[in-house]
Amino acid sequence: MASLTVRVASPQATVFDGEAAAIVAPSWDGQVGVLPGHAPMLALLGAGVLTVDRPGGGSEAFHVAGGVLKVERDTVTVLTEYAGDEPAPEGAFEAFDLAEDAED
Amino acid sequence: MSGSREVKRRIKSVENTRQITRTMELVATSKLKRATDRVYATRPYAEALEGIVSGLYSPALSEKYPILRRPDEERRAAVLLLTANRGLCGAFNANLIKEARGLMDDLRARAIEPELHVAGKKAVAYFRFRGEEMLTERVDIGDNPSVEEAESLIGPVRERFETGVVDAVYLVSSEFRSAMSTPPQTRRILPIEGDPEAPPADHYILTPSADVILERILPSYIRNVVFTALVENAAAEQGARRSAMKNATDNAGEVLENLKRTYNRARQAQITQEIAEIVGGSAALE
Repeated sequence: MASLTVRVASPQATVFDGEAAAIVAPSWDGQVGVLPGHAPMLALLGAGVLTVDRPGGGSEAFHVAGGVLKVERDTVTVLTEYAGDEPAPEGAFEAFDLAEDAED
Repeated sequence: MSGSREVKRRIKSVENTRQITRTMELVATSKLKRATDRVYATRPYAEALEGIVSGLYSPALSEKYPILRRPDEERRAAVLLLTANRGLCGAFNANLIKEARGLMDDLRARAIEPELHVAGKKAVAYFRFRGEEMLTERVDIGDNPSVEEAESLIGPVRERFETGVVDAVYLVSSEFRSAMSTPPQTRRILPIEGDPEAPPADHYILTPSADVILERILPSYIRNVVFTALVENAAAEQGARRSAMKNATDNAGEVLENLKRTYNRARQAQITQEIAEIVGGSAALE
């Protein structure tokens, strides 16, 4: 069964690096799901929960905020300004002016 | 004997110094370990982001966004210099300051007016003493730099570039090749150079669009360049300090060996003399 190679990195650390059956990420204009065989894509991220479904069942979730998601040849790279178990602190990313014009 | 007492005092003083330098070496070693881990942890993000930016960048976009502006000629350039807040790390700070001064001389020779933005107590003190004007003086960035600190450092400089006050931004910092090799390096971080060999991202689905993504990603890209430079600088400082303190400890050991030899010789000479005196005295009595 095809699977995705997923890497989730913030400036400070790589929080996830491994295989996944699917991921759901908070894009700039809503949730975006990626399954194996997805077309190459680059998408801006907003703030929210990133879910990584493991190939054998079960899933992991991270709070992310800002950054970009890249999909190419079943490799997903998520580069986010913030990644952690807690939601991104309120207002912490205002200074970086990211993800605030989702309604454009 | 006053001579041997003097030597004894010096032995004690050198021993104390060696104790201090050895402790500093151990502290630097443990800090270096953590700082090195942080350097390696920042690399995947930095490399992937650089790939994305290179792929999206095209010279045609430079008309639309101030951050992509490509000035025809440089008249004024910002020099962002990162040094340490603390000394006792060998030539680490001196090398960085020298690199920055070389760059500024070079810019002036090309009729470009440099302006200084400095982080680190050592360079701030140096340029203040020299009476050079600094537009940024930061001494609050510690061993574990944060992304927010990087943003607060580069934000105003980036703004000066976007509004056309400066035409280029140079970053002078230490490259962390290994704990033993941390040469100073100069990089031009603005204007952005697209990598002509990077595979273009034109076959991607882009949401919302290449230029909006680029506009959003570029500030974090520039910020991240400064952030990784701060992290590498912090690690390089600890590496330099460890080597400097190791040398100091080794040298103290050498000095101690010589002093001890001198002391023992003086002591032995004294004993020999006393015996000679006693023998001489008893001979005189017979």
